[in-house]
Amino acid sequence: MSFNKLAKQLLPTHFFSNLSTISTKTLIQMNNVWASYDAKNYSLKEITLSIERGTNYAIVGQSGSGKSTLLKLINGMMIPSKGQIKVDYQTPNINNKEFKRAMSKIGYIPQSLGLVKNITVLENVLIGSLPRIGKLNSLLKKFPESEIQEAEKIIKLVGLGGKSERKTYMLSGGEKRRVAIARALMQKPILLLADEIVSELDQVTAREIMDLVADAQQRLNLTAVMVHHDMHLALEYANRVAVIKEGQKILEIGIEGDKIIDFQSGNMSQQEIMELYNSNEP
Amino acid sequence: MNPKNNLIIALVIAGIIAMSYNIDANPAEFVKGIPNLAIVLKEMTEVEPNLFGTAFWSMLETIEMAFIGTVVGVTIALPLSMLAARNLNSKFVYVPLRGILAAARTFPSILWAILFVIMVGLGTFAGVLAIIMYTVGFIAKLQYESIEAVDSDPVEAVNSIGVSKWQLIRHVIIPESAPHLLSQILYMFDYNVRQTSILGLVGAGGIGFYIINYIKFFEYGKAAVFMLVVLITVLIIDFVSVKIRDKYIVKAQKGMEVKI
Repeated sequence: MSFNKLAKQLLPTHFFSNLSTISTKTLIQMNNVWASYDAKNYSLKEITLSIERGTNYAIVGQSGSGKSTLLKLINGMMIPSKGQIKVDYQTPNINNKEFKRAMSKIGYIPQSLGLVKNITVLENVLIGSLPRIGKLNSLLKKFPESEIQEAEKIIKLVGLGGKSERKTYMLSGGEKRRVAIARALMQKPILLLADEIVSELDQVTAREIMDLVADAQQRLNLTAVMVHHDMHLALEYANRVAVIKEGQKILEIGIEGDKIIDFQSGNMSQQEIMELYNSNEP
Repeated sequence: MNPKNNLIIALVIAGIIAMSYNIDANPAEFVKGIPNLAIVLKEMTEVEPNLFGTAFWSMLETIEMAFIGTVVGVTIALPLSMLAARNLNSKFVYVPLRGILAAARTFPSILWAILFVIMVGLGTFAGVLAIIMYTVGFIAKLQYESIEAVDSDPVEAVNSIGVSKWQLIRHVIIPESAPHLLSQILYMFDYNVRQTSILGLVGAGGIGFYIINYIKFFEYGKAAVFMLVVLITVLIIDFVSVKIRDKYIVKAQKGMEVKI
């Protein structure tokens, strides 16, 4: 008898009721999720969404809307107060050993990028491979030749060829973002989470970085969840967009070519979306 | 200046006068003693150049003691600083350890030297042990403070990859806190050379042994040779550490390429 069958016999049926709704296509499932930092005010309320594998998903909202919290819930850095989250069939929690293994496959790029500034580009990118490296070797900073080659390949892919020995603090804002993306790709991720990584860049550089992520996402068939406050960027690059306002999801739309589909009211124009988004500005 | 400030200044001056009276610090005695100083200074000018050789070798011994003490002390201090950092350990680890490190720092190295002279006998080894002890207490404190000041962004980002605590320390904490270390080690070496120069006072070796003995026998001319060598050495070390600091630390802060 398989473990699943045995477990179903031993555990009450409602235990599986939420799981049964997740299809194999779904990577992230959130059911009525509430989250708070201080137990009084909820920064996220009643969030229900499901993200399919291979989607380029955008979460858009003004600052303080709770969109960064949403990413922290997905990678287990934060635990919801209420509701249920599943990421690749597991409940995200950084303190859970099993999920910690899953985290090695989630590339998370915070808004601050979180790069170690006093080491080289190559060393920063190699950090992405740490979960695969043995304890002793990682303490001695001895990486296998295959990992170093892989890192060099990714550094070239993100457009930093020839700069792998450069110290990270010497790079420009755009270049630093490329390093953060390379570190995430080095994890061989199935999911890429990025928190407003282009918001401080000029238009041209921002588009270069977005193109890079979109290219990697398609090439490696990743699921990408990117947080933005610029709706135009989201509509341009994502194939699904959720709009968050004051902790609640107010709209979820899909983009197929030029068509924008609101999942509640049918087709919408970009202008209608922008009007709705702007009218919701605080 | 407002009346409140005047009152504070008056209180401080009154306090100094009262305290001076209490500790028998009498400026009149100082003025009366100036002719004595003149005698000492005159005798000091009668240096004995043939002692420069001895002075040089004993200074070299002092520098060697300070060097060994600094290197060994820093080597012991670094792992201890990891364990004493609040952001990496539970309080059951860092609280007792910080207590021990504070004790190591509380006594100046000359008191440690007295203890080690009793333990291992007169000589340079007791001096080296004293320098190690003080260096451990001092560098561990400076380092755990820089570890606690490490930017939390890379720590959080790398933690989210699912790495172990020791991987996080090796690949994020150490590189982020290391730039301060070079500056701290230079400072510590500079300080240890000056400290080792006086450890001879309690029989723990080094150039201080000669200085204290010549002064005891009122041979100021001979003591002056040794004091001059200490002064020149400290100036040279100061000059060299400024150069090293300019080359490796200031440039790093300005964001220029640093080759180490």
